[in-house]
Amino acid sequence: MGNKALSQALLDNQSQLTPLSLFNIPFPSFVGEIKQPLLAIREQLAEYNCRNARVALTTLNDKEGGVRDAVDVAKEKYGSDRIGVIIGTSTSGLYETEAAYGVLLSTGKMPDDFHFVTEHAYQATARFLQLELGLKGVCYAISTACSSGAKAIAAGQRLINSGICDAVLVGGVDTLCRLTLRGFRSLELVSGDPCTPMDKNRHGISVGEAGGLLMLEKRHADNNSALKVLAVGESSDAHHMSTPHPEGKGAALAMEEALQVAGLNTSDIDYLNLHATATKINDSVESRAVYSVFKNQVPCSGTKGITGHTLGAAGALETIIALIALQQQFIPGTQGLKNLDEDCQCQVIQEPLHKQDLQIAMSNSFGFGGNNASVIVSL
Amino acid sequence: MIKQLYIKSAAVCCPDSDLLQSFNLQGSDVDKSLIPAGVRRRTSMTTRMAITAATHACSQAGVDAQSLASVFASLGGEMQVTDALCRLLPDDNELLSPTQFHNSVHNTTAGYWGILNKCQAPTTAIAAADDTFAMGLIEVWAQLRQERGERLLVCYDELWPQYLAPPIGQTAFACAFVFSTEPEQSKGAITMPQISPQSEQDLQAEWLKLTESAPAAAVIPLLLALQDKQPGLVPLNITEPIWACQFDV
Repeated sequence: MGNKALSQALLDNQSQLTPLSLFNIPFPSFVGEIKQPLLAIREQLAEYNCRNARVALTTLNDKEGGVRDAVDVAKEKYGSDRIGVIIGTSTSGLYETEAAYGVLLSTGKMPDDFHFVTEHAYQATARFLQLELGLKGVCYAISTACSSGAKAIAAGQRLINSGICDAVLVGGVDTLCRLTLRGFRSLELVSGDPCTPMDKNRHGISVGEAGGLLMLEKRHADNNSALKVLAVGESSDAHHMSTPHPEGKGAALAMEEALQVAGLNTSDIDYLNLHATATKINDSVESRAVYSVFKNQVPCSGTKGITGHTLGAAGALETIIALIALQQQFIPGTQGLKNLDEDCQCQVIQEPLHKQDLQIAMSNSFGFGGNNASVIVSL
Repeated sequence: MIKQLYIKSAAVCCPDSDLLQSFNLQGSDVDKSLIPAGVRRRTSMTTRMAITAATHACSQAGVDAQSLASVFASLGGEMQVTDALCRLLPDDNELLSPTQFHNSVHNTTAGYWGILNKCQAPTTAIAAADDTFAMGLIEVWAQLRQERGERLLVCYDELWPQYLAPPIGQTAFACAFVFSTEPEQSKGAITMPQISPQSEQDLQAEWLKLTESAPAAAVIPLLLALQDKQPGLVPLNITEPIWACQFDV
């Protein structure tokens, strides 16, 4: 869905989760699956053709999103070698590789149209976007599991602050695949029903897929009125590969770092988009971390009951959701939440809430490996 | 704004000692004693190689790994783990191992590095195909231009099944550097990587051939310049456009 449909789903607090139809898996699952037709990759870039690249292209060309136009304007202004492309992803084109393994196991060789480096390898989508847009500068993927999209924003902001680039196309793109669903299932983290973040009866993740792209450019007189990325705080848990630190120390560190870099107080944050994956432990640890930084003073919500957990895209998608909240002056709801977990001490908003003077928002993303990032954006 | 980054240390881990010898490089095999048994059992060859190189680089530089932010750069990361999982997927009855699943992410090495060193500083995991080392250096530059200090850069790729992207993965190679914005204990300095006018024909043939099969071997010209104290323009990748930086002693 494009920006307009996403805004509407947020305003209506309308879940987009449906039973998985893209492929078969041996257990029931609701997912955030992209149902709209995806744009085709042009012939010259055929070796990049995979679902991840098609989601990226469809996101890039979304009219209301306007990212493609923004890149074209920046190209005119700065030159194609001064614009970077940094894309977060957790599994890139793995969906196609999974099918190729079916062929490998039955015939002993990969299919002729299997292109590992340009489809599956992590940089494939970033490189595809660079070639599609005729850009020539810095280009790489960030893959830190579910914080990838947020870390890509951090990297883009740094490339601009350090004078290495004048503008950077950043974001996250991830698509549904068997490995992720069956892997999360092996960890007993997949919900058979639509997920219910922060609910006392929550029972796991609904996996989703998405592309989220943002065009960042250096500050100058003409773009003072544009939306802003103020800071990204990053930290590591140093605790466990797939379980967060029990007191949420790493998560709190990322939020505090973001506030410090932006030169803000906790009272300056008007809305916090939680990572809130709807697993028992992740949500309880995050609520503890948020309370340790903000007490219960900041309105929070988790939007994965609408979009699903879009993994490597989540950090970018939910930063965009935070920006939509600021632009349209409302706090998104927490779709799926019926009875707030008594352990949750932070201020969780259940239904969308219209407010005035929303200026600054934060978005949390936490990934495997204890990899944390909190993005602060403003009007 | 800083114009040079100083190299405090560089360490190679490569199980193929003949290869190290043929390039006249110093390096070591995986040092199992650096990784506690509990973690060692759960980690892949690529993670063990990267952790060996990173540990040696930190101790050579005399830096405390607990407070050092890091950048992990690898074309494919955990290819062996991912391959083993992909082989199970065509059968609906196969159950995946939860440990193997969380060990299949690209930042697995970065995660274990943080756990082993109790390091809460930020870490990132990047990939850029043939440009992985060059882009890893750029990420380090951007981080250190934003805030002065030190960074660990680890560049690594393991042996891959040859049906994926031959010849990539025929040789396993890992290398780690500690970079600093300050000149103390410097072994050499580099400028910001830029696209250079060099073409593939200008590159040394043996290095080009090796790097086609071991993407992390892109570090070798910089390692040799450092070892030989040889100032000059150092290529950082093998496919055009060629990124390069100026090395000075």
